[in-house]
Amino acid sequence: MRDPRRAIARAAMFVVLCVVVVVMLFPFAFMIQAAFRSYDQYISGSGFSLDSWAGLLRDLPVVQQLVSSTIVTAGSVVLIVVVSTAGGFAFAKLGFRGSSVVFLAILAGMMIPMQSIIIPEFVNVSRVFNVGGFRLYGSYPGAIVVYAALGSPFATYLMTTYYRGIPTELLEASVMDGGSYWQIFRKVMLPLSVPAITTVAVLQFIQVWDDLLVGLLFLKPEVRTITVGLAVLQTGRTVNVPELMAGSILSALPAIVVYLIFQRNLIAGLTMGVSK
Amino acid sequence: MTMIATPAADGIAAARRGSPRAGGRLQASQRRAGIAFALPVIALELVFLGLPIVQAAYFSFTRWDGITATWIGPDNYERLFGDPTFLRVLENNLILLAAVPIAILIPLLVAYLLNEHVPGWRFFRSAYFLPTAISWVVIGMVGLRFFAAEGILNHTLDAIGLGFINTDMLSGELSAMIAVAITFIWSVFGTNTIIFITGMATLDREVYEAARVDGASAFTTFVKITIPMLMRFMQFAFILTLITAFTALFSLIFVMTGGGPGYGSTTLEFYVYQQGFQVAVFGYAAAIGIVLFVVVFAISLIQLRIFRSRLD
Repeated sequence: MRDPRRAIARAAMFVVLCVVVVVMLFPFAFMIQAAFRSYDQYISGSGFSLDSWAGLLRDLPVVQQLVSSTIVTAGSVVLIVVVSTAGGFAFAKLGFRGSSVVFLAILAGMMIPMQSIIIPEFVNVSRVFNVGGFRLYGSYPGAIVVYAALGSPFATYLMTTYYRGIPTELLEASVMDGGSYWQIFRKVMLPLSVPAITTVAVLQFIQVWDDLLVGLLFLKPEVRTITVGLAVLQTGRTVNVPELMAGSILSALPAIVVYLIFQRNLIAGLTMGVSK
Repeated sequence: MTMIATPAADGIAAARRGSPRAGGRLQASQRRAGIAFALPVIALELVFLGLPIVQAAYFSFTRWDGITATWIGPDNYERLFGDPTFLRVLENNLILLAAVPIAILIPLLVAYLLNEHVPGWRFFRSAYFLPTAISWVVIGMVGLRFFAAEGILNHTLDAIGLGFINTDMLSGELSAMIAVAITFIWSVFGTNTIIFITGMATLDREVYEAARVDGASAFTTFVKITIPMLMRFMQFAFILTLITAFTALFSLIFVMTGGGPGYGSTTLEFYVYQQGFQVAVFGYAAAIGIVLFVVVFAISLIQLRIFRSRLD
């Protein structure tokens, strides 16, 4: 039926792609295998045990750290979505004197590496913004605002681009009976931009959940995220590989679940900068 | 004007007509709303991104311990460029730079194969993209076990009878950096593959059919059609990968090598952290951070130029 040479070529492609799958999934297989072995079984290379999970619960306040991760991530994502949707609406549909310059300045924020600002940021958050009853440093709010400041430039860019694509007629029609800007934003813009908001939220969720540096510097040990907790455990004196792998699975699982559900949004956000 | 005039409707209508002066008082209310809606993001970015980058620039000219800063002019920068460790660190960034073309080329080839839609290609695509969801901490932890002396790589080599090339990669300066670079290539593979698949989906299949009818080989079509038509996507992937290499590997290095042995795998971004939070010379660390900022900014400007030149 088909050109046999072409069939062979396709079979060869299939084999190559399978090899790549092995290379890409192998670390996951290693993680799972190691996590279900005791330390001795890990060394000898066979067996099954749940010791590592018990050990993990003993050595690491996993539950507290998962709660911390959830609070920090949810807080950052909510703050980013709020400021970027409002900002996107302003830049795309309302405008003000100098709004395009301000928009460009915010976009330029994407080019600032975290490490370039981390020292003054650390000093500001731990000293300047940490006086009286208003304490940013060490607890959730400090880490959340830093994450939000780092994530918002791209989110604002994405939301502005999305809102520019919404026809202005639609807004006019919906405010004929005296809607305020706030109502337009809430009743028209937000519902219409659910796909874009989802993309922003998914990208930022993975970004914040997986981050180490900000959590390491801005959160006290008692409120550390799971990612920070694992990194610290890794660099500690006693290293138990099965325990670390159990912890890795636990920390990776939420992000993997989000990834599997929202793969499409993730890809949309990623290729946003080039496909238009 | 509209029959039922609301400030919102008039303002937006005026904006659509492209006449910013039209609407008078109504236009002013829209401007005020614009400022109000933009204010949260402006305030957030000013205080937590704009302020610290200006401070970093200022403090890079001082001796600073976090409380008192003494102005010392360009001393930090002079010291930096005479610092052999800094030059060593720059070399490590060059190794990462050298890894970028590999991190582009492999995904390009694999995307080309995926685009042929052999059975199971959707599964392959998801599997390749999966590491994107995993933190650098977890990737580093597995990477560490992979390259360790008693690790997976050496065990595998033993098992297939190649035990004689066993090496303890993480104990040598250059080899540790190469191990980090390989792990980095693995990590960005999925992202770049997705970018190229997206790019290939935009290509005209008829061009391929025509090439096939003309008897062009797969290799010829790849080099003569796919690559030139994907230039935009390759540039995007290149810049994204390069910026990732220079600014996103802190956690990977922290977990895998701690920057060592010696300064063997310390890159610019890691050097900022070491000097700032381990040595605690804030002014000096700020100067390193500014160098990193200038490098990243320059890369981004090149990208902007490329994009603009295409629009013209």
